[in-house]
Amino acid sequence: MSTDAVTLLLAFLAVLAQATVAAVLVLSVAGRRLPSVARLGGSMRRFLGPQASSLAVLVAVVATSGSLYFSEIAHFTPCRLCWYQRFVMYPLVPILMMVARRRSRVLQRVAMVIPLLGASVSGYHMAVERFPSLESTTCDPTNPCSLIWVERFGYLTIPTMALSAFLLIATLLWVADPAPIDPPSDDPVVALKGTVS
Amino acid sequence: MNEKRSPRSFPLVPIAVGMIVVLGLVAVLLSRGGDDDGSGVEAGSVATGSIRETRPVSVAGAALPPHGEGVDAAVGLPAPEVTGAAFDGDAVAISNDGTPKVLMFLAHWCPHCQKEVPVVAQWIEQKGAPEGVELVSVATATVAERPNYPPSAWLEREGWQPVVLADDEQGSAATAFGLTAFPFFVALDAQGKVVERVSGELTVQQIEDLVARARGVG
Repeated sequence: MSTDAVTLLLAFLAVLAQATVAAVLVLSVAGRRLPSVARLGGSMRRFLGPQASSLAVLVAVVATSGSLYFSEIAHFTPCRLCWYQRFVMYPLVPILMMVARRRSRVLQRVAMVIPLLGASVSGYHMAVERFPSLESTTCDPTNPCSLIWVERFGYLTIPTMALSAFLLIATLLWVADPAPIDPPSDDPVVALKGTVS
Repeated sequence: MNEKRSPRSFPLVPIAVGMIVVLGLVAVLLSRGGDDDGSGVEAGSVATGSIRETRPVSVAGAALPPHGEGVDAAVGLPAPEVTGAAFDGDAVAISNDGTPKVLMFLAHWCPHCQKEVPVVAQWIEQKGAPEGVELVSVATATVAERPNYPPSAWLEREGWQPVVLADDEQGSAATAFGLTAFPFFVALDAQGKVVERVSGELTVQQIEDLVARARGVG
């Protein structure tokens, strides 16, 4: 599989991740005011909730594999900010596996902090790519963080893909359901809360 | 797992894996016909006709100390002389020929160089090449795997007029002048001595000041 194909695949997945995060956010926010949206949100939670933490493991595995592909096969040298994001993403694989196994609400909430930390680094890295002077007015001759290795669909750079993965993991942990699945409720407020204990 | 699972639970994880495989196939199909490695031509290889992105250079004289913060120890030192060639093979020399010079070291992948080149190109287009001072650019740190490759195409796109010396793959010309960051400017007086070295994006006014100092009037 060529580097072009891999970056295109990761770009497709990043767009899917962004769409999922946006959908969950819209359903959650709009569901507070609109009962019909709240019911939809409840259905979404019941649909995603039981397997959300396992999906989060899959997202972390794909992101880690993509990162290793870029550095080890495509030979895109990771910069300092790339390494910070790696330090966050790589341990997420075993941590999320543990979360998926234990399915404890407390663990899920604590684990949510990790991808949010990664997302903040990715967000800063994206800003440095667009505004290189944020870091420095010169380029480090070896490997500046402002260097854009990949750009798909006019906006998807490697840190943007990482941000999408971190946000999707955090979102999946948020909707992940640690409790047994209850039958659907007719009460929209209960439905929105889903199976949150 | 200590909780019960719904018997009708949708197999999301296997479906997600399947979706990744399908998207991978779509990505392979859509990427067919492009470069196998997505990186274009290798550094130093023939791109079009006799264009080469890196060329051998030879350096005579002592290398300048690395450029750093504070007082520049290179000011007043004789600059090394570099002989090499442009992308098309035409001979280019940075030599002590009695003409003041401003050298610009550029890396195709550096976003600051990418911003600086149009500024300098527009300045030359509007005001013409500065009289009595030779502008020489050095395309260095050329790496085929990095963005905005090849530098010859980039500079042509930008309407770049100054002479370009294509540095070798080791960046010998850049090292000889003590480059530590991009973009990098060196002003040399008529005696071939270093007047000033500066790195980073420069405004038109700063470039004009640098040219004036090379002339000895700044």
